Amino acid sequence: MATLRRAQQLVSDAQAAIEEVSRVVGQGSGAGPAGGAEARLAAAEIERQELVSRLAEVEHQVGRLMTLYVATYQLHATLDPVEVQSTIAEIALNLIGAEQFVLLLLDEEDKGYEVRLVHSAPETPWAQGTRYTGGDPMVDAALADGGLRFGPNEQSPALAVLPLRVQDLTVGALVILKLLSHKPALVKEDHDLLDLLGAHAASAVFASRVYSKTARKLRTLEGLIRLVNKG
Amino acid sequence: MNAVKNRKVLVVEDSRLIHKMYEVMLRPTTLVSAFNGREGLDKLAESQDVDFIILDINMPKMTGLEFLAQVKANPALAKIPVIIVSTEGKEEDVARGLRDGAVAYLRKPFQREDLLKIVGRIESKQSAA
Repeated sequence: MATLRRAQQLVSDAQAAIEEVSRVVGQGSGAGPAGGAEARLAAAEIERQELVSRLAEVEHQVGRLMTLYVATYQLHATLDPVEVQSTIAEIALNLIGAEQFVLLLLDEEDKGYEVRLVHSAPETPWAQGTRYTGGDPMVDAALADGGLRFGPNEQSPALAVLPLRVQDLTVGALVILKLLSHKPALVKEDHDLLDLLGAHAASAVFASRVYSKTARKLRTLEGLIRLVNKG
Repeated sequence: MNAVKNRKVLVVEDSRLIHKMYEVMLRPTTLVSAFNGREGLDKLAESQDVDFIILDINMPKMTGLEFLAQVKANPALAKIPVIIVSTEGKEEDVARGLRDGAVAYLRKPFQREDLLKIVGRIESKQSAA
């Protein structure tokens, strides 16, 4: 929110600067020789155009920050593992523009990766089963070293493989296989969003799993206590 | 640029993430939220004084296009401007949405500036009328 406030401050500053230029132009046009006034007017017009362009850039940045804020907010708005998965899918579809993607998550015993979510039925063979046992070199490499990778290449049809990483643990990966028909390619803004998703989705997945395990244990203990008390 | 003030907007959209996005982007507008077309119609029955509707297409129970058809068939609601915001972005999808009565069609993922431009156009028309 501090970043958003800073961005709003920048917008206000730009608007104040435009008003100041308009005021100076208003004062300048009435005084001095006509030639000098015209030159100042031309200079003020150039400055105004620069400010308008800067204002548009600031507005664009504000929009980007809002997108990043909402993605982060929504990922941490729940401790339900299913809702966290669904938020990751909503971000991939609505904010990145991915049409076909697969979400792999570490299983409960931390022994391997499960295919937890498949969107738009990609034809990729490894996405057909319930467990990911390897087969796509780019996915294998991303899961092994936790680095974001972009494709496609000769070995993999994936456009991007985003490992979800918290501390030194890769809790899963989002594999983007195809973008929406009206989205030609991933752009700079998408890279920012992928960076954010890699860290925040991982911690949201991790926290929701810990919470759900703890809640399960608590319910079991409560059940045992009730049983003992009855006996 | 922040054209939306003191307005009431119905958002018919099945994604909680996108509801939050509108809440942040259109602040301080009053948003009425519905998560499918059926619920959208119910919300309109409760309050018809919305200034415009933001509508998704792919939703459970009742799709956006079905919702749009019902709104346009009702004389009391037909004049409310509808903006479609959808991941369905083919030319034929856009043409169909506009033919069915939407005033604008925005493809997801969208930029805040593009949404605010459309809202600004709608508000200018409403002020002029």
